[in-house]
Amino acid sequence: MIYLDWAASAPPDAHALDEAREVSALLYANPSSPHAAGREAAERLARARANLAGLLGAEPDEIVFTSGGTESNASVLLSLLAKMRLGGVRPRVVKIVTTAIEHSSVFEQARALEGFGFACSIVRPDQSGIVAPSSIAEALDESTALVSVMLVNNETGAVQRIAEIAEVVRVHSARTGRRVLLHTDAVQALGKIPFSPAGLGVDAASLSGHKLGAPRGIGALYVRKGAALQFLALGGGQEKGRRPGTENLPGICAFARAAEERLTALPRDLRAAGEKADRLIRGLLSIPGARLFPEQRSGGPSERFSPWIVSVGFPPLPGEVVVRLAEGRGFLVSTGSACSSRKKDRTRVLEAAGLAPETALCAVRVSTGPSTAPEEIDAFVEALAREVPPVRAMSRGRAG
Amino acid sequence: MRETLFLVKYGEIALKKRNRGAFVKALKDSIREKLPDLAVSVYETWHRVYVRFNPADREAVASCLSRTFGVVSFCEAVRVPTDIEAVEEAARELARGYLAAGRGARFKAEVRRAEKSYPLTSYQIACRLGDALLAAFPELKVDVNRPDWVLFVEIREHAYLYGPESGGPGGLPTGSSGRGILLLSGGIDSPVAGWMMAKRGLALDAVYFHSAPFTSEKAREKVESLAGILSAWLPGMVLHVVPFTPVLARIRERAKEEETTLLMRACMMRVASLIAAQRGAACLVTGESLGQVASQTIESMAFTETCAGLPVLRPLVGMNKDEIISVARRIGTFEVSNLPYEDCCVLFSPAHPLIHPSLDKMKRAYAGLKADEPIGEALEKTEEVRVGARARAP
Repeated sequence: MIYLDWAASAPPDAHALDEAREVSALLYANPSSPHAAGREAAERLARARANLAGLLGAEPDEIVFTSGGTESNASVLLSLLAKMRLGGVRPRVVKIVTTAIEHSSVFEQARALEGFGFACSIVRPDQSGIVAPSSIAEALDESTALVSVMLVNNETGAVQRIAEIAEVVRVHSARTGRRVLLHTDAVQALGKIPFSPAGLGVDAASLSGHKLGAPRGIGALYVRKGAALQFLALGGGQEKGRRPGTENLPGICAFARAAEERLTALPRDLRAAGEKADRLIRGLLSIPGARLFPEQRSGGPSERFSPWIVSVGFPPLPGEVVVRLAEGRGFLVSTGSACSSRKKDRTRVLEAAGLAPETALCAVRVSTGPSTAPEEIDAFVEALAREVPPVRAMSRGRAG
Repeated sequence: MRETLFLVKYGEIALKKRNRGAFVKALKDSIREKLPDLAVSVYETWHRVYVRFNPADREAVASCLSRTFGVVSFCEAVRVPTDIEAVEEAARELARGYLAAGRGARFKAEVRRAEKSYPLTSYQIACRLGDALLAAFPELKVDVNRPDWVLFVEIREHAYLYGPESGGPGGLPTGSSGRGILLLSGGIDSPVAGWMMAKRGLALDAVYFHSAPFTSEKAREKVESLAGILSAWLPGMVLHVVPFTPVLARIRERAKEEETTLLMRACMMRVASLIAAQRGAACLVTGESLGQVASQTIESMAFTETCAGLPVLRPLVGMNKDEIISVARRIGTFEVSNLPYEDCCVLFSPAHPLIHPSLDKMKRAYAGLKADEPIGEALEKTEEVRVGARARAP
């Protein structure tokens, strides 16, 4: 089987696995314990935190370890409730600005906050799946407390213009005299495209371990020093009170290690990924009936798209049929986002970029990793070229 | 010697005259077939069917009887020698159980003496048993008008004492009406249709049309688990999984768009009939309900059944969806039917399907398909899955 579903979860990184095993076996003491074993665990924790922070161009204190991307996203959105508890926020006059292309852990959480009385402004992207900073600017008003825009979209690979959005938010804050918090979900960006949270100018960024080869259950939230972020969950005071609960030290060490592997190799990997994406896109477009989502991407390589994610479809063939055809030939790909491929609303992101629902249902996400070989991409394209056209001919609507 | 049994009441079979024996045999066979692993003996005496079992198997046997067609009701019985002391002892034990289960203190005894040479009359026996129970359990009270429970006793070659009655599905024993082929999809209707015809004594095989890659493995697994639930009533049911894609391809190639659905149904009927011939089945069973969708209008059914060549039984034809759903809930198929693995047959559904097709035109369209070749290919690759007792109804 050839694995082309890295955006859903990456194969384990061998170094990270070793790290997790070693730390699990040896450093089992609670980092909060006062004895020697506890102190040793705490030192290792500090080292992992410093390593990850260094890789991100951040201070160690700016890294809060969590259970993953979903928790990191939730803790930012729910910080509005924590502020409410502190008396700093009255929901009726507080607005969240986010986009129609967010992962459901931001999108659904934001909608849920509407139930608490917050207002929610959902900004749509243009047809290339990219949210214009000017659209964010239009959505901002005096009541806005939080802006959350993802860095790399998990379905289309579209890279959002976060630095420009940060500038928009900064100008708005300066004009109104009210600090607006800017958060980005960077889960599909870490180790995939070069960035630093400080360079982007965000207050918070969500990160996940398993997308780059660490085990499931570990992630982090970058919180800019001085950012006014309150945390809702209370407990034993770990992570400086920002994320209570005994630290997942094996996960944390494995995460830091996987990030080190990926980020140090990134300049080289990125060049190769660009070539592979180009190869994949050209190959796919040579198959009759193929359509890229968004179609703007057909022109060739672009900095506006992650080279690790390509979304393609063969309308009117549903994406799930293409997934089964690919699997029959030994290639594992997904329809849209893996997290939502079982839900009815699985076409939300592509519909936001202007696709008709029946077209959006045709999307298949091909996502690669550093160990994906160009020959594997060729073999995948060849398999689809053989399998898809006859089946597509059977399902073609006569009207269309 | 004391034995535990279930007395099985079989309702309408008793009304059969010369064929009664055959129906009772079918009932006994189907009970035996469903309990192959248990040491039970099924026998008939004095026009009653008894199932003798080990007390440890009580629940399994009761659950089997509650899902055996032909069983109207059943009750637990103990069989003891006819001497009055043995009957009294058995009565005390039953009463002890009822008291422990909190069934109440007011009771009466109802005695029938089929063995007329017995030295006591029915009334005398009832008095003896009443005295024996009142002596053993002072809290008990005789109440012949509104008893909490009744002690039923029959004196024959042995004495039988009966416990409370449980319901069975009724109908006719499996196989007593021959064999049919059920067209089983993953939907709500077809499992209900199969169950309803099985209730009338039809043994069933099921046919499922699998259209990979348009339908997923999940959809197939769903149908297998539906067949598994039905097999609790229909032991030994075989599921025939027909790879239908070659037939779809032919329809796509040769048919007018608006005729697609009808021709697909027609081909399914044809395939099912050919499987019926192989399996010695005499009819097809479908979940069609009049007017539910375009292919279920009277004109559509008139056409599709011409391709069957066998009677097509449609037990749901006059039922509303809510009525069908309530049966599906009762037999335990609804939750599985409601799982979301839809197939992609929407790809093959025309935007404007024919609702009132002309029979002659459709017959010509079917002939124009020359579908025998892809149908032959599909039959050759048909898989037989023994669903057995893989999944029991909840």
